[in-house]
Parts: sequence; C-alpha cells; structure tokens
Amino acid sequence: MPPADIESPSTGATSAVKLTALTPFKPELYDRAWQSIPHPTLPLIATAHEKSTTVFSLSTLTSHSTLSGGHTRSVRSVAWKPNLSPHKLCLVSGSFDSTAGLWRWEEEKKATGDDLEVEITGASANNDDSSDKDDAEKDWEFALVLEGHDSEIKSVAFSPSGQYLATCSRDKSVWIWEDVGVNEDDDEWETVAVLNEHDGDVKAVAWCPDSARSGRGRYSSDVLASASYDDTVRIWREDGDGEWVCVAVLEGHTGTVWGLQWEPKPEGTRFPRLLTWSADQTLRLWSLKEEDEEEENAPTQHAWGSLGGIPNTMRRSLKEEWECTATLPKAHTRDVYSASWSADSARIASTGSDGVVVVYGEERTTADSEMSQDEAAVELDGDVQMRNGNDGKAQGPPPTTWKVLGTTDYGHGPFEINHVTWCKRYDLECAPERRGIEEMLVTTGDDGVVRPWQVS
Amino acid sequence: MDNKDNANPTILTASELPTRQIKKKTPASADDAKFADAVSRRPLFLSDPFCDVSWSDGTESEDDFVEEPIDEQEIYDLISNITDPEHPISLGQLAVVNLPDVEITPPPSTPCDPNALRRVLVKVTPTITHCSLATVLGLGVRVRLEQALPPNYRVDVVIKEGSHSQDDQVNKQLADKERVAAALENDTLKGVLDKMLESCV
Repeated sequence: MPPADIESPSTGATSAVKLTALTPFKPELYDRAWQSIPHPTLPLIATAHEKSTTVFSLSTLTSHSTLSGGHTRSVRSVAWKPNLSPHKLCLVSGSFDSTAGLWRWEEEKKATGDDLEVEITGASANNDDSSDKDDAEKDWEFALVLEGHDSEIKSVAFSPSGQYLATCSRDKSVWIWEDVGVNEDDDEWETVAVLNEHDGDVKAVAWCPDSARSGRGRYSSDVLASASYDDTVRIWREDGDGEWVCVAVLEGHTGTVWGLQWEPKPEGTRFPRLLTWSADQTLRLWSLKEEDEEEENAPTQHAWGSLGGIPNTMRRSLKEEWECTATLPKAHTRDVYSASWSADSARIASTGSDGVVVVYGEERTTADSEMSQDEAAVELDGDVQMRNGNDGKAQGPPPTTWKVLGTTDYGHGPFEINHVTWCKRYDLECAPERRGIEEMLVTTGDDGVVRPWQVS
Repeated sequence: MDNKDNANPTILTASELPTRQIKKKTPASADDAKFADAVSRRPLFLSDPFCDVSWSDGTESEDDFVEEPIDEQEIYDLISNITDPEHPISLGQLAVVNLPDVEITPPPSTPCDPNALRRVLVKVTPTITHCSLATVLGLGVRVRLEQALPPNYRVDVVIKEGSHSQDDQVNKQLADKERVAAALENDTLKGVLDKMLESCV
C-alpha cells in the first residue's frame, strides 16, 4: 500500500497537487488499453487497445476516429509523426503481430476549409455522430507495413525531426528506420540499423528531444535510449558514418525497465537527463557526466569493465559516462508501468500495477543563484553553443530533491493502470482562455477506460 | 533425465487433496504425513492470530448474497483442477499446486476497501526439475486466477524455491504482464492453455 503520510513540500514551485478524476473519454473501450499518446500539436490523443487504435478528441472527449484492420494481434504502442503540414496526420502502430503499421489521414480536397480543424475541435455540432465516424474511418489509410522483427513489437518512437523511427521487440533488438521518401507521403522507409546488444526483450525506446542540444564529438545530434527486460538501459548515437553505436549502458534497476523518457526541458545547457521506471517499483534519473572535449578522450575504463565483448565499433573514446543521480521517493508497491515528465511544469507523474497515480516535483536543495529566464530562453533556441561560457556550471547537476506532491489510490478502481501522460486541456469544462495551456493527466487502464485528471 | 516427460509422476488420489469438507479419516501414508496433516485440520490460516472471524466448515454458505472473502482453499480449488499439459491428471493430484503454497496478502480475514489490492502468491512445484513446461504450468495458473478472481486481486505465480533449475528466469516471465498478454495471443500456446483449463468449471 502507498505510504499514508505524504511529505508536504514547502515551496511554491513544488506545492502539493490534488488530482480530480474527470469524465472518461467516450466510448469506453471495455478491454485492456495499453497507452494513450497525445498529438504533439493538435487536440487529439491516440489510444492503443486490442487490435486497433482509437483516436479521441481532447475537445469533445469522444472518439474522433479508429484505426482498425491493420494488425492481427494487439496494438501495444503508437507514435504520432511530428512536423507534418496542417491537415495531415500520420501515426505508427506497433503490434504484437511483430509488425509496425504506418497510417495516414489526409483531409480530402472535397472538404471545405478547415474541416479537420473544425472536426477535431468538436465544433462541428451540426454533423450527427454516425456520419462523422464513417468519414473518419474511411479517411485513415493503412499506408505501409514495416516488417522485420521476429516477435512482438513493444514500443515505437519518432525522432524529433520525424526522420527516424525506432521500433523495439521481444526479439531483443531495436530497429531504426529512416524516412527516405522525397515527399512526405512517399512512404519509403529503409532500415538503417538493427541494434542487437540487449540480453532481453526491449520494452521501450525514446529519442532525446531537440532542445538545447548539439552533436557531441563526432556524433550527430540524434540520441536514442532503449529500456529492457535485461534490467538495463542503453544509449545509442549515430557516429557520423551512418553507424549506430551503444555509447552507454545504464545499470542499476533490479527488474525489467518498463520505460523511459528524456527530460523535456533541461535547465540551461545541461544535457537532458533520462527518467526510467521499472518492475523494481522505482523511478530513477540518470545524468550524463559532461566533461570538456579534451577530457573526453581520457581513459575511463570502468563503465565498460563488466561488459566483456565490446563491439569493434565501440572504441573507448566513444563511450559516455552516465550515472544515476536520483531515485524518486518510493510511492509504488508493484511494477511501475508508466511515467510522464511535463515540459511545462517539470513535474513527473507515475503509475502502475498498484493503480496508484503519483505526482512528483523537484526542488533545489541549495539556494544558489538561479539562471535567469532570459538566459535560459536564449540557450533553448539552439543558437548558442552547448558549453559556451558555461564550463563552470556544467560540472554536474545542481543538487535537487524530488518530493511526492500528491497521490491518488485506485485511479481506475481495482484495475491496473498501464499508462499515464501529461497533456493539454481543450475540453469545454476548461476555461476558454486556459484551453491549450492548462495541463491535465490522462491515464489508461486494464478496464479499457481512458481517464483525464484535473491537476490542481 | 528426459526433459519432456515425467513418466512416473507421484499422483495423489482425490481423497488426499485438500478440501473444505471435514475428513473423517486421513490416509496416513508416511510420505504424505505432513501434507495429510494439513488436510485433516482446518487450513493453517484459520489458526492465524489475525483471524478473528468465526468459521464453520459444516455450513458451507449457499447464500450468494453474503459475500465471503476469498480464502486460500478457494484459490486452491480454482487451480487444482487444471490439467497437466502432459498427463491427463490435475495439478492438484500431481502436487504441482499445494494448499500451503497459496498465500493471500492481506489475509482474507482482514477487512478492507473493496478496491484494495490483495496479492495472491502461488508457488508451483513442477513435476521434474528441468521441466521445460514450468512456464506453461505457471502461465496456466496465472491465467486461470486472473480470469476467475475479481480485478483487485494481483496474481503472482512463482516456482517454488529449489524445485526448478531456472527459477528466476521462469518467475520473471510469469511476472511480466506484457509477455503474458502476448502469450495469450499465440495460437499454439493458447491451445495448450485452453486444454489445461478445460477441466476447470
């Protein structure tokens, strides 16, 4: 059972939060739903359940469209392709049938004006539901099947630019696919890497966000992390010659690592931290030990010491040193299946088999001078070089403490909760001026319920 | 030892299996002394200091409206009828599942919120040490209990310590929700499981 006494934080930045259940998305799905992924910009959220994906409108909190018929087994995960032109949607679904499906929705020319926009914001009240839905189902096209994995695909993720797609599977491999089409909807994808270093199912993959980050040494800026049944996390980079190499193995969890997320908005020029969560009931934060370029070639053997056979591609100088810099306060009594790190509030939410939803906040331990907002903003736009003038500060993250800000038991009654995500509110109950700004949580459970939560 | 088959498993007769019925007489085979002892008396948990509910073996409630907590015997009854994938014999008779190896936390006698989680831990004892079917046995037990128990029950199935050479590996698989879900969509495996569970009513 969760701890009864929650520490109440003292400062405003990490004040206690209250979770209030809102009306679930309609219709309920009745059977286990695995995850719900918000669209990066539009008020849509896609839920993977059984052999299909249901897209809900965040405005009406009802079903927008369904992607079915593409998979012969359960859809485990979905990802929205980022940076598309308006009126286009593209989604990838990863399935237990060992394939990934690429789906496209394009607004037909027949449609007048901002039809997509109108529909997803739910203002098309004059259309009756059934005809809306028929149109919707017609408009998703199952464009492409990505085949290659030997067994269930567990997770799919697009790189920030949308150029790469990563998929991972029980077959212990991570595949990286590149969009090589000249036009967006050419749907030509090539396998650019098959990464076989995990010793167990690869449960999740995540790309490092673009912000405040540049290439590192000879590497390009794309960074991928993978979490595994082998209890480890691996970090992968492209070496500039098209070769993807494992640059770090993060060891510390004592159970399957169910998932991971990069810090959405790292402070200043710091490299994003990595949040991981596990069957060992804990959530951990990992930080890159940032060194001067000169020091990067210094021999630091121990990170690889226990690994034995290091592939040829992995010269010593290419490795990175990562360390676990925080373990979040223990609040779960069973597997942590999911967590989400907010870009806006920097708060973390987690959930899992115990059905508890927990929100955590980070607090500076010491009252040292904070970087001004202006300075941080300048660095976030990417024009400033990574370590420019910040060498002194970049030595290790500032000391912080994570606190539990609030917990809710039985978020889905007695059922397990498989997923939690932060997302923006667009529903009618949210004040109009707060729509698209105010954050809520959305949880997805074994009961087939997709439930929004007001966070106050 | 042949990995695939245990030609001569020890088989218990129906009268040797634990049940709620009071047995007038207990077969006193030396091998089964401990086991029979457990059978002939009330299940151990009833003498647990935390147990303060009155209990009557003789008056099995026919009243569906009185909700009785699910106890270890009931869990045992749900899984003891599962048929072994290799023998036309039940897991109870093969002593793959045993009443003392069923544990409920918090104990059924503790009242709590209807949503509150109860953990059911079942330790299974595969018939042979290298039994390649240990995972399938465990899977059958987990699936049976997940289908039969209310959703606030969390089922953990593990291989009883020392009875199997790859305990950790099997335990980890059995604890992995995603793998279990995927296994149930595998036609071959699902066929085996359906057959095992056919005998459960």
